Amino acid sequence: MSANIVKILDGNTFVVSDPRGDIEASLTDPTGLFSFDTRFLSTWVLTVNGQRLNALSVDDLQYFEARFFLVPGTGTVYVDAKLSVIRQRAVGDGFHEELTILNHAAEPIELTVRVDADSDFADLFEVKDALKKKGTYSTRIDKDGLHLVYERETFVRMTNIAASAPAAIDEKGLTFVVTLEPHGSWTTDLDVVTAAGSGGRFVRPKYRRGERRALPNMGRSLESWLEEAPRLECDDDRLRATYRRSLVDLAALRFSPLIAGGRSLPAAGLPWFMTMFGRDSILTSLQALPFTPELAATTLQALGDWQGSRIDDFRDEDPGRILHEMRYGEMTAFEERPHSPYYGCADATPLYVVLLDEYERWTGDRALVRRREHEARAALAWIDDYADLLGNGYIWYQRRNEQTGLENQCWKDSWDSISDRSGEIPGFPRATCELQGYAYDAKIRGARLAREVWNDPGYAERLEKQAADLKRRFNRDFWVADEGYFALALDPDGRQVDSLTSNNGHLLWSGIVDKSKAKAVVANLLGPRLFSGWGVRTLAEGEGRYNPIGYHVGTVWPFDNSFIAWGLRRYGFKDEAATIAEGILDAAGFFDGRLPEAFGGYERSLTKYPVQYPTACSPQAWSTGAPLLLLRTMLGLEPVGEHLVVDPALPRSIGRLELLDIPGRWGRIDAFGRGRIDVGKRRTGAKRTATSSTRRAAART
Amino acid sequence: MSEPIEEFFERLTRGGPDRLPGRADGSLRIDLTSGKTTERWFITRHGGDISVSHRNAKADSVIRTSKDQFEGMIAGTVNAMSAALRGVVSLEGDPTLLVQFQRALPGPPATGTVQRAAAKGRRT
Repeated sequence: MSANIVKILDGNTFVVSDPRGDIEASLTDPTGLFSFDTRFLSTWVLTVNGQRLNALSVDDLQYFEARFFLVPGTGTVYVDAKLSVIRQRAVGDGFHEELTILNHAAEPIELTVRVDADSDFADLFEVKDALKKKGTYSTRIDKDGLHLVYERETFVRMTNIAASAPAAIDEKGLTFVVTLEPHGSWTTDLDVVTAAGSGGRFVRPKYRRGERRALPNMGRSLESWLEEAPRLECDDDRLRATYRRSLVDLAALRFSPLIAGGRSLPAAGLPWFMTMFGRDSILTSLQALPFTPELAATTLQALGDWQGSRIDDFRDEDPGRILHEMRYGEMTAFEERPHSPYYGCADATPLYVVLLDEYERWTGDRALVRRREHEARAALAWIDDYADLLGNGYIWYQRRNEQTGLENQCWKDSWDSISDRSGEIPGFPRATCELQGYAYDAKIRGARLAREVWNDPGYAERLEKQAADLKRRFNRDFWVADEGYFALALDPDGRQVDSLTSNNGHLLWSGIVDKSKAKAVVANLLGPRLFSGWGVRTLAEGEGRYNPIGYHVGTVWPFDNSFIAWGLRRYGFKDEAATIAEGILDAAGFFDGRLPEAFGGYERSLTKYPVQYPTACSPQAWSTGAPLLLLRTMLGLEPVGEHLVVDPALPRSIGRLELLDIPGRWGRIDAFGRGRIDVGKRRTGAKRTATSSTRRAAART
Repeated sequence: MSEPIEEFFERLTRGGPDRLPGRADGSLRIDLTSGKTTERWFITRHGGDISVSHRNAKADSVIRTSKDQFEGMIAGTVNAMSAALRGVVSLEGDPTLLVQFQRALPGPPATGTVQRAAAKGRRT
């Protein structure tokens, strides 16, 4: 089923249908028309003379528009069909569908065309968890069409359906009696409009009848989005295709929160995560900064406006904390879920400050940094005042909402993601290592902003002192000396959770790693236990819970690797960064340029192709952003003062690479590079040492 | 007019910009219904100054709810965003001001013991 579904979307409204354009959802089947986390249509089935149709082809015209070519009859006899049916559908505030039927026969024909419509008004959380509804349903028919209504106390959601052609409307749909001349055609517009609130007035459809061209709600068209982004010229066709795919998918993933004045930020994934996420929106904005800096600006604004301001255990909210996830559905409305918004993540808050600084370094937009001084200071204060649960100078997390809050509040958020070498899972609170790196980076970057923009050198000094102290303690407390890497976490007793993980790469990115330790860390990242040939595994081979298809315990995450590559460049390991870039971009080629959230951690030489991890969301924002950040790291793009420094280190396989019109405080700049690094040798090198590592792993168990 | 509501708005003017973080100037009207009467609070923000009156004038944003619900909001027992999604509170106009306003509302009473202890331990 999932391979054949058709998804189109605009903002957080999306339609998931089968290849005929039909929707036949059950409580657990994820098809339908969704908006603001509510399913507004669960049935939308077209029949002609009582017969279902067959799909000849589907065109995804744009991410918000699709066209279905259909014929009546069973799949095998369509060749002599005398009728064609075309459904062209565009998402707006609901969707608009233009239904056309063509008669290919020399005789006139009379048809009964029927559209069955219904809605279960399920909350996305109910779709995921298969829960029962608590409100009541009703249907109304008037001159404006068919109205499907769901009410629970004061909570009202409505779907309004109207047609331009004369129709007989009943409670279950619309019927058209159509006479087609020989070689004639018939058309009707169908408008499905979603509405919230009481009153029951009919809301104007987005696409007025007679308007033929569908436009997305997102401010800029896809064409101008692509034109504004830097142009990529290179010898490698696959890389060009991956780059274009990334830009188009990023456009599709744009989400405009109500408070952003029509501007957009990256939502986390399509279709189930079309909402604002602290972590995902920030990391994707960082990846995309050299390409589309406006995403970062909106992210900083929207997350800043929603910054936590009080203590609320149900929402895991604290003053200064940046939100984890915002939802608008029924379960959130009735506080059966805490997403109004939910604040349970430990990394978005320091990362907010990191993004604010990086954004200024690229764009020179000091006005925004001044406007967000209050939020940045509150975020930095949160690290010390609210995140340090044990009072020993580290970020710790432990949910206060024991029912519906998140256990693991770092990016590896599955239940078994944090374990030691033997596979033992520690208690709470937990202090994972990358959180300390982000805190260090936030303090260093906050100090720069305090000195250069907020005119507060005293604050800058205090932050730098705290950062230096954190770095010293961290390099002592988290360092696994016998193996030469940093432990994944500390447990509540201060003991190391000592497994080898990809988190080490994030530590390089944050700059918290002592220079003297970097070489050993890099050897581990690119060593056979972590590096699969495609990329760095989340958890090293040989660890107790290692599983090459375990969500956070062995798979390779493209987004993770893009930040690891950035970290490697930061510490001067250019060849190693190029090795990772090549592996991930090679993998992208196997997915038509659209990297999945994660793929299997199998050795590259074993499978020859990357084995996709089955997940519901594609494209996923930070996977979409990974090729962009890898381009940045390969070209060595780094803003320094008013200039952009270009220091390319490309794998030989890439050949010539030009990134033209890179936007920033310098205006527009071109970057050029040529592949000179022999990555193949390194891959073979990794394989050669595999035997000794496996032996060591075996000895431990 | 109830005392807690008056006290809340009084604190808002006294607290200045820290009580209403964010950067947008503008006006916000809060209409509170109770039976057949409507009580209006008109808040303007200009630079660091926040003023509150009972003017019945056109505002950039309007919040409409019952007096009971609003008393719950300023006591921390009703969450503004959830209430808006339920349709108990209706919102109109510039949503930025509304998001800023909800930041001035307190959290639920008698929670947050874990964090408070931690924060206390850290602040010396």
